[in-house]
Amino acid sequence: MPAITLEKVSREFGTFIAVDNIDLTVEEGEFVTLLGHSGCGKTTTLRMIAGLERNTGGLVSIHDQVVSDASKNYFLAPERRQLGMVFQSYAIWPHMTVFDNVAYPLRIRRKSAVEIKDRVTKTLKLVEMEQFAQRPAPALSGGQQQRVAIARALVFEPEVLLLDEPLSNLDARLRTQMGDEFRALQKRLGITSLYVTHDQAEAMALSDRVVVMHAGHILQVGAPDDIYHRPRSRAVADFFGSPNLFEGAVRGCERIGDDVFVLDVSGQGWSGRCRADMPSQAGESILVMIRPENLRVIDSGTPVKDGEITIQGRVADTIFRGARRTILLECGTANFNAEISALHPVTVGESIAFGVEPGAAWAIRP
Amino acid sequence: MTTVNAIAGDIREGRYEDRYRRLKSWGFTPRNIGMILLILFLGFLTLYPLAMLIYGSLHSTPPGMAGEFNLNGYRELLSTHNLIALLNTLGISFAKTIPSLALAVLFSWIIARTDTPFRGQLEVLITLPFFVPSILTAMAWGMLGNPKVGLINQAYMAMTGGTEPLINVFSYGGIIWHLMQHSTPFLFLFIVDVFRAMDPALEDSSRMCGASRWRTFRSITLLLMLPALTNAFILSFIRGIESFESPLFFGSPAGITVVTTEIFNAINYRSGPQPDYQYATAISVAILVLMFLMVLVQWRMLRGRSFVTVTGKGYSPNVTKLGPWRWVTFGICVLFFVVTVVLPIGQLAVGSFFRFFGFYDPSMLTLANYVKVGTNPEFWRGFCNTMVLGVLGSTVTMFLGAIVAYISVRTRWRGRTLIDTMAWLPWMMPGMVLGIGFLWAFAILPKSIPIYGTIWALFLAYIALGTPIAVRVMVGSYAQLSLDLEECSRVHGATFFQTLWRILIALAWPSFVVGWVLTFFGILRELSASVMLYSVGSEVLSVIVMKLWLNGLAEQVSVIALFMMLLVIVFRWVQLRLLKHHITTL
Ligand SMILES: Nc1ncnc2c1ncn2[C@@H]1O[C@H](COP(=O)(O)OP(=O)(O)OP(=O)(O)O)[C@@H](O)[C@H]1O
Ligand SMILES: [Mg+2]
Repeated sequence: MPAITLEKVSREFGTFIAVDNIDLTVEEGEFVTLLGHSGCGKTTTLRMIAGLERNTGGLVSIHDQVVSDASKNYFLAPERRQLGMVFQSYAIWPHMTVFDNVAYPLRIRRKSAVEIKDRVTKTLKLVEMEQFAQRPAPALSGGQQQRVAIARALVFEPEVLLLDEPLSNLDARLRTQMGDEFRALQKRLGITSLYVTHDQAEAMALSDRVVVMHAGHILQVGAPDDIYHRPRSRAVADFFGSPNLFEGAVRGCERIGDDVFVLDVSGQGWSGRCRADMPSQAGESILVMIRPENLRVIDSGTPVKDGEITIQGRVADTIFRGARRTILLECGTANFNAEISALHPVTVGESIAFGVEPGAAWAIRP
Repeated sequence: MTTVNAIAGDIREGRYEDRYRRLKSWGFTPRNIGMILLILFLGFLTLYPLAMLIYGSLHSTPPGMAGEFNLNGYRELLSTHNLIALLNTLGISFAKTIPSLALAVLFSWIIARTDTPFRGQLEVLITLPFFVPSILTAMAWGMLGNPKVGLINQAYMAMTGGTEPLINVFSYGGIIWHLMQHSTPFLFLFIVDVFRAMDPALEDSSRMCGASRWRTFRSITLLLMLPALTNAFILSFIRGIESFESPLFFGSPAGITVVTTEIFNAINYRSGPQPDYQYATAISVAILVLMFLMVLVQWRMLRGRSFVTVTGKGYSPNVTKLGPWRWVTFGICVLFFVVTVVLPIGQLAVGSFFRFFGFYDPSMLTLANYVKVGTNPEFWRGFCNTMVLGVLGSTVTMFLGAIVAYISVRTRWRGRTLIDTMAWLPWMMPGMVLGIGFLWAFAILPKSIPIYGTIWALFLAYIALGTPIAVRVMVGSYAQLSLDLEECSRVHGATFFQTLWRILIALAWPSFVVGWVLTFFGILRELSASVMLYSVGSEVLSVIVMKLWLNGLAEQVSVIALFMMLLVIVFRWVQLRLLKHHITTL
């Protein structure tokens, strides 16, 4: 039984369509991330699930109970959906102490004072904030406010947790730390989480599945590994890092498993094999995506493996990044970049040959 | 030519530089001289009348006459009559502030947080009564709610056939009702922005915690606004204490006295043959002490209690969808506008065309009132005085406010706190009290400085009364302009004055205009200080209508009041147009 189901959900603001016919399911205990550029409709989607925004089309269900049905104009009030939510601004109430903030959902539910004290203390312990219980809320740092916000969302044991860019107000170091902590907590409690972010690194590090959104549409849903290495479109590929895309033509196609194909492709100055998730006809033109870190320098000594794509480029520029070195290369009229070990000596103007394993090259329909 | 050459020679020879350096070593830099002049001027406007109030309260004879010093004024204060006046003042102000605050919160919520149709227009309509001079609506309501011949009672009696009037404005209820019409939009202007500025996530998160809409409003929204509401409450309460028009028009006929009318009566037509200045001044000092205590309370209550609810992220506040109820909220707003603006204007319009107030028979229709007013030289004089004072007074006030605000927020000059405090002082001085202070202050000036009894007396009083608002408006405007802009300009080679002129003036002028119009409205509606300081020849419009009204000429009053209403609406319209234009061009 999925925890959240969206069926053909849309949201229009006047003539502007912020969310366009989205289908999505989130399983029990799963951590799903909505990822996309600013303004693509992530927050709107989350708020429609929360009930803070009404969908203009489609159906939202939580645990098989329909909570929003645009066709019947039925919308369950947000307070009746039993969802926890963490806001980007944390929305900690400044006129209350930390304890009162966290106790609020329990007070609303008319729990006894003893139970409130017990559960608030326990939840504050969970986020390591128990020593701040009596602090007035404005006297907290960003990271502490974030913990309080999470505690407040967890204290009444909601069925699902919704988080809208909860880490975006923190500095980079704290963001990673809080992210990892939250992921550990989520796994321990097994709480279903739907998480919004525009930070791809965060999305990949935290999620079971990532939903890539663009202009109100879902482009692709999959495990972080899938999305990163096997994007279904150029837009998704472009989303993570700066992949190299080579135009090429298919020479042959071989099926090696369920929905896994090996294509024999060639382009200007290169040829070899790559993987694809769909069959192709010979002569068809495609794009081959190769991530810069998967280009391997071939020295005169190293042998070229069978089927490996080989490509030669002239070094136009190099950028030293500490752990790695990025080199920009020219190959005929095309440019590409590679990330290699920083120890490897490179001079501008020299020519370098690269090899790419078939598993690291991925075909995308242009 | 020769002198010029001589001076040029002096400069060449460095004599002037020498002298200049010597002056400088004593602290006589242009900046310091400017500061001293500013301090002297502000002191003359605020500290001097304040000191003269105390002097006058101890002085046995009217201003400008020889007399002795005694405590008779204060001794007279201690009477049951005065105790009742004091309790009336506090009680009436309290009684009008509570319902005004409730109404203002309701209107703010409707305008800022619901999908009520035509909210933008409604906001303009709701706030209009704030700009209408109280004396006009007071007179209109004096006619509308007159227990014998008022239109409302006539209509009520005609409909029900009863003989008892429905309402009588000459009562406590009447005073409170009239004060509410002005303080509701006043409070609204404060509160609506607080509603707008609140981060909607603070309320959303309460809903997600399981709280209903109403529960959220009670435990989150209202509590978050509590500091702002307290502030607004105290401000409105203070304004209630210093109100003059409502108790004069509706209280005096019913024998209800408050502190301001008590002062007015003591100087104008109290029982004795002589006006009792000492007594009036003593009450003024007492009311000042009261105000001072109120301000202290306000400071104590608000210390460290402002919740920063505004975050940097741009957002639109939560809008509640009211469904069919939105027409109810629409109706409530329209009703308020009709009652506070349309009814009074309607009464004035009707009244101006009939020969006698209260006898609305077609045979009584006439244009004679217009002719009488149009040919009344006193009216034209008053009109000219008001316009001249309004235009000149607002301009000078705004320049003063702009300079004081600049020095107090943008510089670290010595003396800026003193300047800021002095400019703020009139804020807690009721117009009437300041009027009396100036009365004494101008009367004992040497004859060679002819301010007493001239239009200059009003001019200076208006500047003093308007300065606190002018400073606040300009402080707000400078605060929005980042310091970087200014520093950037100076780094790029502009001198201090070029910077002031190019950057600040160019960017701050919209606020200047807004403040100017506000000050102009303030001068147009001013009655309580004017009534103390006017003399024959220097009457302003508000004084003229009051005199006509007290002489029972309600018909002519209607004509002039209608004319002033028109003036207010035109100015308000221009102001809104300017604002709108400015906002869209930003
Ligand atoms: N109340 C509204 N009225 C009109 N348009 C809106 C409204 N709310 C959102 N939008 C539009 O809908 C689109 C999606 O907004 P949304 O807030 O969901 O973006 P987002 O993906 O969360 O972006 P970000 O990463 O910046 O938070 C945006 O283009 C926005 O301008
Ligand atoms: Mg968002």
